[in-house]
Amino acid sequence: MAILKPLLYIFVYPGVIFLFVYSTFCEWFDRKVYARLQNRMGPTHTGRWGILQPVADFIKLLAKEDIVPERADKTLFTLLPVVGIAAVSTAMMLLPVWHYNVANSSPNSFSGDIIVLLYILTLPTLVFFLAAWSSTSFFSTIGGARVLTMLFGYEVPLFLAVLSPAIMAGSWRLAEIAAFYQHKPLLLLPNIIGFVVSVICLQAKLERTPFDIPHAETEIVGGTFTEYSGKKLALFRLMTDVEMVAGSGLIAAVFLGGFPGGVILGFVNFVVKTLLIIFLLTLIRALTSRIRIDQVISFSWKYLAPLAVLQLLITIVLKGFVR
Amino acid sequence: MRIAAFLPEILRHLFKKPATVDYPFQKLEVPKDFRGTPFLHPELCIVCRACVRDCPAEAIDILTVNEADKKFKMVIHNDRCIHCAQCVESCPTAPKALEMDHLFEIAAFSRWDLKKEWEYVKAQVKPKAAAGTPSAEAKS
Amino acid sequence: MKFTVPIGPQHPALKEPISLRMTLEGEVIRDADIRLGYNHRGLEKLAEEKTWLQNIYVTERICGICSHSHATCYTQGVEKLMEIEPPKRGIYLRFLVAELERVHSHLLWLGVAGHEAGFDTFFMYTWRDREVVMDILEMVSGNRVHYAINTLGGVRRDIDDLQKKKILDSLDFLRRRSEFYFKIGANEPSFVARIAGVGRLSKEDALALCAVGPTARASDISQDVRKDDPYGMYAEVPFEVATATSCDVLGRVVVRVKELMQSYNIIEFLLKNLPDGPVAVRAPRRAKPNEVVSRYEAPRGENIHYIKSNGTDKPERLKVRAPTLANYPATVVMLRNGFIADIPLIFAAIDPCICCAERAVVLVDGRSGEEKIVLMSELRKQAHERWKKAPLKKDAVWPF
Ligand code: SF4
Ligand code: SF4
Repeated sequence: MAILKPLLYIFVYPGVIFLFVYSTFCEWFDRKVYARLQNRMGPTHTGRWGILQPVADFIKLLAKEDIVPERADKTLFTLLPVVGIAAVSTAMMLLPVWHYNVANSSPNSFSGDIIVLLYILTLPTLVFFLAAWSSTSFFSTIGGARVLTMLFGYEVPLFLAVLSPAIMAGSWRLAEIAAFYQHKPLLLLPNIIGFVVSVICLQAKLERTPFDIPHAETEIVGGTFTEYSGKKLALFRLMTDVEMVAGSGLIAAVFLGGFPGGVILGFVNFVVKTLLIIFLLTLIRALTSRIRIDQVISFSWKYLAPLAVLQLLITIVLKGFVR
Repeated sequence: MRIAAFLPEILRHLFKKPATVDYPFQKLEVPKDFRGTPFLHPELCIVCRACVRDCPAEAIDILTVNEADKKFKMVIHNDRCIHCAQCVESCPTAPKALEMDHLFEIAAFSRWDLKKEWEYVKAQVKPKAAAGTPSAEAKS
Repeated sequence: MKFTVPIGPQHPALKEPISLRMTLEGEVIRDADIRLGYNHRGLEKLAEEKTWLQNIYVTERICGICSHSHATCYTQGVEKLMEIEPPKRGIYLRFLVAELERVHSHLLWLGVAGHEAGFDTFFMYTWRDREVVMDILEMVSGNRVHYAINTLGGVRRDIDDLQKKKILDSLDFLRRRSEFYFKIGANEPSFVARIAGVGRLSKEDALALCAVGPTARASDISQDVRKDDPYGMYAEVPFEVATATSCDVLGRVVVRVKELMQSYNIIEFLLKNLPDGPVAVRAPRRAKPNEVVSRYEAPRGENIHYIKSNGTDKPERLKVRAPTLANYPATVVMLRNGFIADIPLIFAAIDPCICCAERAVVLVDGRSGEEKIVLMSELRKQAHERWKKAPLKKDAVWPF
C-alpha cells in the first residue's frame, strides 16, 4: 500500500497518464476555443469534435524524420526535450491534487513547495534558451536571446504575484495555502490584482501571443524551434502543453482555493479551475497582437511589476487587519 | 485606445456557427455564370478553328481524322486550360458549340486524365437565324 | 556585433520568394539589401508571342491580387493603339470591377498586416468579410481571382438588376465592417504599439525615392492617377484622394481604410448611374505601328504598361512597371533603424507583390560582385559542372 500510492501518484494521477491525456485535451480545448473566437471551426475530424487532434499531431510528429543540424551540440540538442518534459512533469507532481487533508498528506507536499514549484517552472525557459543556443542557427540564436530577455521581464512580477497569497495565508506550502482559502474564501477577493498579473505572466511564460516573440513565425521563422523536428519537436510541444496545465494548476491552487472535496469532486474542481484559466489564456491570445521584445520589458516593469508590488502591499496591510 | 477592443465581437461569436464551410463534406455553390471547364457540343461545331486561334493557353487542338468524311477530333487539354472562356466567346455558331460548365473539382492524378476528346463530323455552316436546333445532317 | 540575417527567399513572412538581407546590430536593423530574381517568369517575352486578345489573359496573370489592374492597364493601352472607344456602359462595368478589386485587395492587406503582427483574430475576421467581395466578384465575372472581364473594346459580361441590387445591399455590410475594423485597428493597444511610428518614410524621402500608391499617400503626398490623370470615367466620379500625415505603418492602414470608404462610394455611384447600351464594341485584330503608355491606379499604386505595336496582330514590346517595384527603394529606407520584429510589418505595408515586380535576371558573381551576361546553354553547363564537382559543404558561408 505504501508503495502503491506513490506509484499511483507518479503514473496515474496526476502523473504520466493523466498528464498526457489532460494536456492534449487542454491543447484541444485551447485550439477549439481559439478557433471559435475567430469564427472558425478548429480541429474537427479526428475523433468526436476533433478531440484527438493533438494526439494525432503528436503521433505524426513522432513518425517524422528527425534532423540534427551538423553544427549543433548534439548531446545537448537531443537531451533538452527530455529534460524539459521531465521538469514540467515534476512541477505537476507538486500540485496539491491529492491533499484533501493537510495533516495527513503525501511526502511530496512540504513546506516551501510553492517556491520549488516556481523554480521548476523556470526550468523550461532555460531549456528553451539552451535548445536555441545549441542549435546554432541564426534564427534560433535570436530566439534564444529573446527567451532570456523576456525572462527578466515576467519572472519577477510572477513571483511577487504568486507569493502574496502565500504571505496572506502565512504558509509556504501549497496544500496549506489552498486550505486557508477554503476556510476563508472571501479573502480570495483582495488577490484579484495578483491573479490578473499572474495570468498575464503565465501567458508570457508559455510564450503565447502577445508574448510569442521567441518563436514569432513571421519574424524569425521558428525561433527557438527552427532546427527541431520529429520526435524532439513533438516532445517540446507536449512540454508546452504540460507547462500550461501545471502553470494554470498553480494559479488555481493559489488564487482559486485549490481543489477540495475528495477524489471525484477534487478532480472536477481541478478540471474546471484549470480550464477556466486556460480559457482566460486563450482569450488573451485571441485579443492581442504580438508586441516587440522591448515593449514586453517596458510593459512588465511599468505595469506588471508595480501592480504585483501593490498586491503585496495590500496583502500585508490586510494581514494586519485579519490578525 | 481601448483595452480589449475586440472582446465583445469575439465573445459574441463563441457560440455562433463558424463561418467556415466544411468544404469537402459540404459542397460549395457556385453562381450561375461561373466559368468552369469548357466542353463541346460536337453536333454544332463547324470547325472554323476560331477557338484554337484565340485560346491563350493553346489548350484546344482540332485534329483531322478523315478529310473526306469531314471527320474531326477536338481535344481540350484541361491541364493547360486557364478557364478564361475566350474560346466560348470566339465560337461563331449560335447556339455556341463550346460552352463552360460548372465543374471546378477537376483535379486528377495524371495530366493525361484531364484530356477531353470529341470525335465528330463537321456541321454545316448555316445562316445564323436557322441554326436554332442541331441540324439533322450533322448527326448522320 | 554586426551580423547579416537572410530573410527569404524562403521565409514564413514572405508569401513569394525574395531575398532581404538584413545587417543587424542586436535587434536593430542597420542596413537592408533587397535582391530580386527568384520568381522570374518571362511574361513580357511571352506577351510578344501572343495576339492582342490573348495577351489580356497573359497580363491578367502577372498578379493574382491585382489581376484586373494589369489587364485593364493593358487593355486601355491597346484600345488607344487600335483607336477604338469602348461604350460607356462597358467602361462603367470595367471600373466597377476595378473598385471591387481594390476593396478586396485592401481588405486582404488589412488581414495580412494583422497576421504579420501576430494578430490572427483580426486576420481571420477581415478575411471572413472579404469573402463578401469575393462572392460579388465571382457573381459578376464568373471567377474569384482571374475575373477575365476585360476584352478589347469593352467588357465581356453585363450585369442585371438582381446583381446590381445584391451588390448595393452588400455595400452596407462592407461599410459597417470596414469601420469596425478601423476602430479595432486604431484602438487595440498591442496592435497600435506595433504599427505606430514604425517604418517611417518622410515626405521628402517618399518623393525622392518615387514611392507610389498608399505608401506615398501615407507620407502626405496626394498622388493618385485616378485624380491626376483621369482615365476611364474617373473624371466624372466624385471621390477624394485619401492621405495620412503620420508617415508610418499606421498611416498606411489609415490610408487604405479611407480608400475602402471611397471605393464603396465609387461603386455606389457607378451602380446608380450605370448607363444603358452595349458593353463592348468590336475590336480589330491588328494595330497600326505606334506606341503607348498606359497608367492605372492599382490598389498598390501606379501601374504602368508601355506597349509598342508594329502593325501585326502581336505586340512588338510590352513593358510592365508594377507598383511594387517602385516601392522597393523606399522600403530600404523604411527598414533602416527598425527592429527585426518590424521587418514583416514594414515589408508587408507596401503590400508587396513580388512576382509582379520580377522583370529581369541579372547574374552577379557572388564573391566579386561582377555582373555578366551568359547564354542559357552556357549557364546550364556551368550549373551541371558545378554540381558534379561540388563537395558536401561543411562550413558554407553566405556569399555576400
Ligand atoms: S477556357 Fe480559355 S484556356 Fe480554356 S480552352 Fe477555352 S480559351 Fe483555352
Ligand atoms: S468549337 Fe466553335 S470556334 Fe471552335 S472550331 Fe468549332 S465552331 Fe469553330
